Amino acid sequence: MSVYGGDSWGREAQQRKRRVDDLLSSSSNASSSFKKLSSGKFVCLVCPHNPVLDSSLMLSVHNKGSRHVAAQAKQKENELRRQQELNKRIVLSSKTKIQPKTTSSNNHVKPLVEQTRTTILELQSTKFTLNAKDAASNDSHSSISSRERRQKELKFIAAGWKRDCHGKWFRDENVEFDSGEEDPNVCPL
Amino acid sequence: MFLYSLTLHRATGVVCASIGSFVGGKSQEIVVARGKSLDLLRPDESGKVVTLHSVEVFGAIRSLVPFRLTGSQKDYLAVGSDSGRLVILEYSKERNCFDKVHQETFGKSGCRRIVPGQFLAVDPKGRALMVAACEKQKLVYVLNRDATARLTISSPLEAHKSYTITYSITGVDCGFDNPIFAAIELDYSEADRDPTGQAAAEAQKHLTFYELDLGLNHVSRKWSEPIDNGANLLVSVPGGGDGPSGVLVCAENFIIYRNQDHPEVRAVIPRRTDLPEERGVLIVSAATHRQKSMFFFLLQTEYGDVFKVTLEHEGDRVSELKIKYFDTFPVTSAMCVLKAGYLFAASEFGNHALYQFRAIGDGDDVESSSANLMETEEGFQPVFFQPRGLRNLALIDQIESLMPVMDMRVMNLFDEETPQIFTLCGRGPRSSVRILRPGLAINEMAVSQLPGAASAVWTVKKNVNDEFDAYMVVSFQNATLVLSIGETVEEVSDSKFLDTTPSLAVALLGEDSLMQVHPNGIRHIREDGRVNEWRTPGKKTIVKVGSNQFQVVIALSGGELIYFDMDMMGQLMEADKNEMPGDVACLAFAPIPEGRRRSRFLAVGSYDNTIRILSLDPDDGMQVLSVQSVSSPPESLLFLEVKASTGGEDGADHPASLFLNAGLQNGVLFRTVVDMVTGQLSDTRSRFLGLRAPKLFSCMVRGRQAMLCLSSRPWLGYIHQGHFLLTPLSYETLEYAASFSSDQCAEGIVAVAKDQLRVFTIERLGETFNETAIPLRYTPRRFVVLPKRKHLAIIESDKGAFTAEEREALRKECMEANGVGENGNTGAMDNGGEDGEERDEPMTDEQFGYPKAESDKWVSCIRILDPKSRETTCLLELQDNEAAFSVCTVNFHDKDNHGMLLAVGTGKGLTFFPKRTVEAGFIHIYKFVDEGRSLELLHKTQVDDVPLALCQFQGRLLAGIGSVLRLYDLGKKKLLRKCENKLFPRTIVSIHTYRDRIYIGDIQESFHYCKYRRDENQLYIFADDTVPRWLTAAHHIDFDTMAGADKFGNIYFARLPQDTSDEIEEDPTGGRIKWEQGKLNGAPNKVEEIVQFHVGDVVSCLQKASLIPGGGDSIIFGTVMGSLGALLAFTSREDVDFFSHLEMHMRQEHPPLCGRDHMAFRSAFFPVKDVIDGDLCEQFPTLPLDMQRKIADELDRTPSEILKKLEDIRNKII
Repeated sequence: MSVYGGDSWGREAQQRKRRVDDLLSSSSNASSSFKKLSSGKFVCLVCPHNPVLDSSLMLSVHNKGSRHVAAQAKQKENELRRQQELNKRIVLSSKTKIQPKTTSSNNHVKPLVEQTRTTILELQSTKFTLNAKDAASNDSHSSISSRERRQKELKFIAAGWKRDCHGKWFRDENVEFDSGEEDPNVCPL
Repeated sequence: MFLYSLTLHRATGVVCASIGSFVGGKSQEIVVARGKSLDLLRPDESGKVVTLHSVEVFGAIRSLVPFRLTGSQKDYLAVGSDSGRLVILEYSKERNCFDKVHQETFGKSGCRRIVPGQFLAVDPKGRALMVAACEKQKLVYVLNRDATARLTISSPLEAHKSYTITYSITGVDCGFDNPIFAAIELDYSEADRDPTGQAAAEAQKHLTFYELDLGLNHVSRKWSEPIDNGANLLVSVPGGGDGPSGVLVCAENFIIYRNQDHPEVRAVIPRRTDLPEERGVLIVSAATHRQKSMFFFLLQTEYGDVFKVTLEHEGDRVSELKIKYFDTFPVTSAMCVLKAGYLFAASEFGNHALYQFRAIGDGDDVESSSANLMETEEGFQPVFFQPRGLRNLALIDQIESLMPVMDMRVMNLFDEETPQIFTLCGRGPRSSVRILRPGLAINEMAVSQLPGAASAVWTVKKNVNDEFDAYMVVSFQNATLVLSIGETVEEVSDSKFLDTTPSLAVALLGEDSLMQVHPNGIRHIREDGRVNEWRTPGKKTIVKVGSNQFQVVIALSGGELIYFDMDMMGQLMEADKNEMPGDVACLAFAPIPEGRRRSRFLAVGSYDNTIRILSLDPDDGMQVLSVQSVSSPPESLLFLEVKASTGGEDGADHPASLFLNAGLQNGVLFRTVVDMVTGQLSDTRSRFLGLRAPKLFSCMVRGRQAMLCLSSRPWLGYIHQGHFLLTPLSYETLEYAASFSSDQCAEGIVAVAKDQLRVFTIERLGETFNETAIPLRYTPRRFVVLPKRKHLAIIESDKGAFTAEEREALRKECMEANGVGENGNTGAMDNGGEDGEERDEPMTDEQFGYPKAESDKWVSCIRILDPKSRETTCLLELQDNEAAFSVCTVNFHDKDNHGMLLAVGTGKGLTFFPKRTVEAGFIHIYKFVDEGRSLELLHKTQVDDVPLALCQFQGRLLAGIGSVLRLYDLGKKKLLRKCENKLFPRTIVSIHTYRDRIYIGDIQESFHYCKYRRDENQLYIFADDTVPRWLTAAHHIDFDTMAGADKFGNIYFARLPQDTSDEIEEDPTGGRIKWEQGKLNGAPNKVEEIVQFHVGDVVSCLQKASLIPGGGDSIIFGTVMGSLGALLAFTSREDVDFFSHLEMHMRQEHPPLCGRDHMAFRSAFFPVKDVIDGDLCEQFPTLPLDMQRKIADELDRTPSEILKKLEDIRNKII
């Protein structure tokens, strides 16, 4: 990993991190984005062609890949749309269930009841749409900020900063720094 | 990819030169080897050196020696080359070429240790010839002649001695006794076997005489004596009645006369007073001058001082050896003394010179003699002298030389029509920036202002037999000005020309009458002063005129042609009329065939895009013989006749042919062959010349008819060594031109441009480029172009020299030391003024070289040069023994406040011997101040080795420091190391970048392709080359391809295979590039060599560029010997087939002159791949006609089609 020689602790830290990753992936079965096969390999369930990956490292690397991210976003979107559709259907079905009754029965009989129902319905449907809107805006906001964060992080890496096992930034011992250079620990991302 | 290789500019450096009478008779010629070409030069009457013949030999010439068989009038030339063959050439005056008389094979090809070819010596009587290797082998050939007086050569006699290194050989002049060859030899057999090194320390050089016993046909070692270990050169002393015989041994600090049974006579070589004590003085070149009654030697030292050596002798006993200071000129690789009183000095670097003898060193200069040689305890007492300006010689001509080309860029900095080539040339004080422009150099003789904008100019003689022109007629919008040509050019009024009207043509008619054509008529001025005027009928005006000596044709508005003919009485008579379908655009007569009075054809260009050939036969009545349609209306027509030639001055065989040239309105020059009998047109060629319609004029160049084409720049079409060359002139746009001949200039051209009249001559025909030189201070190393201000930043450095201040101080000291005593006016000297009457010119470093310092001392400077004004705007001399080695411009991102910066890599105290060591390396960062005209040091960063390569990359600086590649960012006090890769094998010498790829050139391991990963801040090597290449030049071609040149003279292209490249690019995670491992510490992927070509000369710079506007890119390269070449990629498969077949036939039918097999030469280190040798193909016109036809038949073409093809492909490059 490091070209500077074997005594750097960066490698050990990285291995430890990988082990933790491994454990995490084995424990968090709840996440349905992949499946561990009997051969010990992993299959990604998100990507449409379900690629088989040899190790958890490769899986995590794959999970960071643009194709996977795209597939995940698409899946999320699909889920959301499905949910919305479902909600709408439920509402509509409840409406249609009631409506024949109302049409068949007298409208004027129970105007108050009818009014309340429609209000509730409206309320419910706006709530759904509002929710959906909220989720979408949240998503885009986070993606922009993450891109910025990524850029900033890259800048620090290129300037010679590294992260230790706690996610803290430290200076690479082989890289030189100017006296007044920005410290990523001080100005958080 | 297939490439076509072509030399654009022949090598200009000289490896060896020799003098002889190759043409025969009294004349003397200089034969010059320029690496792989052989030239025959001769100073003409005016003292200009002209090239008689130049031939590419496709091999490395290592030695030349002329010899003459007794009683013969003509010299032969023996050539030692890398072909493993001895070749004897004879110059054929008739065909102007060298003929191979003998070719004797004796060994393997290539420059090898024990294969002879490095040294050649010949018996002064021309009876035997010795060819020697650097080690062991020496072969002697006996030369004789057979009954028909042809040269014969014996089988070789061996004079080998193992474990012996040869330093120099020469033939000893011993009259008609058995031929003797002398050699400086060193026996290393004991040194080789002695591990303690004692024997090596005691090794002794010997002077050995080899005698060829003509009776026994055997060579024996006759005499061997130890000589100084500093001996390096032998010069033969005349003998056999003319002198004492024997040899001069040139050794370090001494010249020693040696002969068998003769005590040695030794004299010390005088030293310059300012030479450091530990430096010796060596002789590098020698020339002998012999006359009937006397002889002397001119020997040049490594510092450029020339000494005249004379021997006092009685019979064959030498009593005294005298060495007298003669003159000083730049160090030569060879000197030749001509009988006509010239000295040709073939410079080691830089321009060659021709000097004329003013005296032969009889003045009172410092002299050292064997008679007063003093030996003290410390050794021999030295003799000192002070170099002075030329006194015995006078410089009369210089031959420009680019050698060595250190760096080169093709750029259009001057916004001209074609790009300029900027080259760094030369060495030490003779170095320069040379700006090469494609085109012929012109020599402007006069420029004079005219009263208004002129439209045309003509020159006329008064009589057809006159040598010079009498009148120059300039036509304006509404007037005509007549000038007489004499000592001066002045206006005349008694010429009888009509001056109130513009003129359309002015010419000499018949023997001695003049004609002026103006829009309203023809004015015929007879010799006796009578004037005949012919007026146009009705309101018609004359629009175009064509004329020759006896015929005139005019075109009237509306398309009517009237043809006049001169009768026996000298009267101009209307002979015929013809109606053309539309207005006539131009007219031209064909040349008058030999032995006839009238031209047979008239060419008429019309605005309907046609050219017609009309018959002028009285019986035909201006009948149309042929019609050629062209792409645009023709503007100007000219017939150009090429006389039949079988070699001769032309150097080529071709039949007589007639070309019709037409300048079309779209700027194209259209050329077609006219059948001289039927007038049919065939074989058309066209070439774009410029943005204006070319106007064509006939002029004389070297006594032959040539064509001047005036488009947006002027061009000259002429025949040179069998090729029709159409070359631009380096001159501004001209309006109208005429040939001009007066007693001041025999072959000039007069032209009008706006309101100026210009007279000029055309120089150095046959050359592709003309040069402008700007001198530099030290050996230039590299340069960068500062694109915004169009300046150049040049780094220069030299080893073993003093800095400018030290030199100035030394000079002052020196002046004071001997100047005060002489005349006491030191004040004038401080200003660099004259030093009294003794030295009438200040000592220039170009002439005398820099004073020598200790060998580990470096001087260096950084220069900002404005090439347009030729002005140096900033010159920073580096201090502290630092020398600059690399330079680049860099823009640091995030540090915008600085803008563009200049990074310079320097080394401090670099030594190469006994081991390469360096005290420290530095990277200087300079800021541009004063609008980019000057530099200011921002800071300098110490590094552990010399940074030999610098390059900007993603807003940071990449530096190759020894074997480490580092990425630097700009800090406040120094550069900050951000990332590095130490996995390069040797030393990084070149860095190129493209997107995120980095292409590294290693000094001995070819290219390495790298990638920088920002997210990890790491540099990875993902591909390298399989071949160990000692890289001398590199250039980036495309994303996967690099072009490189190695120090053995090969050019190659390395390309990453497409699938590998795709794999690397489609690796989003980067895991592959990170983890993949190559075998044996190499990179995981390997580049492929797709092109391979042996140039035969060390290529020092490469660039992809186009030399013609709108042309495709080719690779332009410059070499150490000062040549420029190009590699052009073929665009069609047919062309590849055609040229590879032509090359194959040429290889078979026209093997190279020095005996090297062409294919073997081009594949000297690696088999040639996908490159066709254009230099060989271009020798096609020099073949005999029947051979040309035979090859053409094999290719299913005609010889003229092949010539056309060759011309076309050349025109694509330049």
